[in-house]
Amino acid sequence: MNRRLFSTVRLKPDTTSMMAIGVVVAVGWLAAFPVAGQAPVPRAANRNTAKPYVAPRTPDGQPDLQGFWTNATYTPLERPKGVTKEFFSPEEAIEVMKKAALEENEQTEPGTVADVHYDFTQFGLDRSQGAMAVNLRTSLIVDPTDGRLPPLSEEGRRRAAERAAARKTRGGPHDTVQNEPLGSRCILMDRNGPPALAGAYNNDYQIMQAAGYVMILTEMLHDARIIPLDGRPQLPPNVRQWTGSSRGRWEGQTLVIETTNLTDKFAFQGASENMRLTERFTRTADDTMRYQFTVEDPSTWTRPWSAEVPWKKTIGPIFEHACHEGNYGLYNTLSGARAEEKRAAEEAAKKGSLK
Amino acid sequence: MRTRAVVLGGVVGLLLASVPMQAHHAFSAEFDINAPIKLQGTLAKWEMINPHSWFHVDVKNPDGTTVTWMIEGGSPNQLIKVGVTKTSLKIGTELVIEGYQAKDRTNKAVGRNLTFTDGRRVMLGGSAGQAATPDPGGR
Repeated sequence: MNRRLFSTVRLKPDTTSMMAIGVVVAVGWLAAFPVAGQAPVPRAANRNTAKPYVAPRTPDGQPDLQGFWTNATYTPLERPKGVTKEFFSPEEAIEVMKKAALEENEQTEPGTVADVHYDFTQFGLDRSQGAMAVNLRTSLIVDPTDGRLPPLSEEGRRRAAERAAARKTRGGPHDTVQNEPLGSRCILMDRNGPPALAGAYNNDYQIMQAAGYVMILTEMLHDARIIPLDGRPQLPPNVRQWTGSSRGRWEGQTLVIETTNLTDKFAFQGASENMRLTERFTRTADDTMRYQFTVEDPSTWTRPWSAEVPWKKTIGPIFEHACHEGNYGLYNTLSGARAEEKRAAEEAAKKGSLK
Repeated sequence: MRTRAVVLGGVVGLLLASVPMQAHHAFSAEFDINAPIKLQGTLAKWEMINPHSWFHVDVKNPDGTTVTWMIEGGSPNQLIKVGVTKTSLKIGTELVIEGYQAKDRTNKAVGRNLTFTDGRRVMLGGSAGQAATPDPGGR
């Protein structure tokens, strides 16, 4: 029997939401999602809905985006090959989510690389065990309309080749700590961005607003973006930061954040440090927020591109993701690589002495 | 082990490719696929920390000596959200762990399956049966 241990987010009956409880409930999703009322319409057509949602206000009059949110999704950034339409029907979308949830719950085969892991399901990390907005889109990318990243510019292709060549000169992935991925080093993960894109788990954010500022805390890996709203200029161009320099403003109901001053060490989707990012946060219901972003980087892509994903209210508080403090994995990976090298060297020496 | 989940048919042509788990690090780089282990021991300490929790388990050798193993588990964030906290799993609990030993061959392993001695799974999960007791104070 499945045992329900979850504090459930209260959901309006007419929202496209889920708070699924493991495999058993995953199978019962079809009945659980009241999505029929949501027509698969593009952004522009959303304005046709009878009464646009108006977010509550903070004491100083800003639309109130505060609280705990998740951008967890099964929808991929790029539209999968073989899928030609922009939207699933609600029934199709639910089938897709059910299948993805079941795959996530499946046991891996002992003795395979995929099995070398703790059980995600047992630790409550499957996406189906948390809040998630139902997304009828077949890709997060909404522009270009084919749902795919635009072609690389000539400069983008050249830089990609240069980066690949440079990687080869740095040795193996576990030769030095600097060769380990940024996430393994507790520096930055895809959930951080910017832009914020969900990973497999811990896709939670906390938004707080104060006069003149908005703060977006990313659960994993702990970053708090503190964004001024007072119209001040971006940092000088010679100041480069992992998460760039962000400045915000309100356009009606929408919080618009522009980010520049990134570094090529992060290279979101292969972008250059010249990438310019515009994010838009718009509450569309008590428990849902539309997150849109546009990436402009002519030194990487032949044209700008945009994506969109709904964020869902979730429960808090967020447990501090003090990543460095418990990051034994990095040590173990490096010491494991050294031990393997030693074993290989001893093996080679043994073979040599037998000749 | 649970049985494999039922495979859905019907709209296969429309289904998305599954999104791979983007975990904090590559587990097969830390732990050795060629060194599967099965241990039984007593929980001595649970480091409920990020990015991964660690269970310290005292395992008795046949000669009567005790060795402490460190077992890697999942990030505690979601557990806390659903009410499982450090106090939910009592120190002294007897656990059975199946997993893979660290590549550096020290007494560390990833806890593929964590069960009580009667076979019940320790945490959550779809077919967990009885799990660690939720602690409302941790919400």
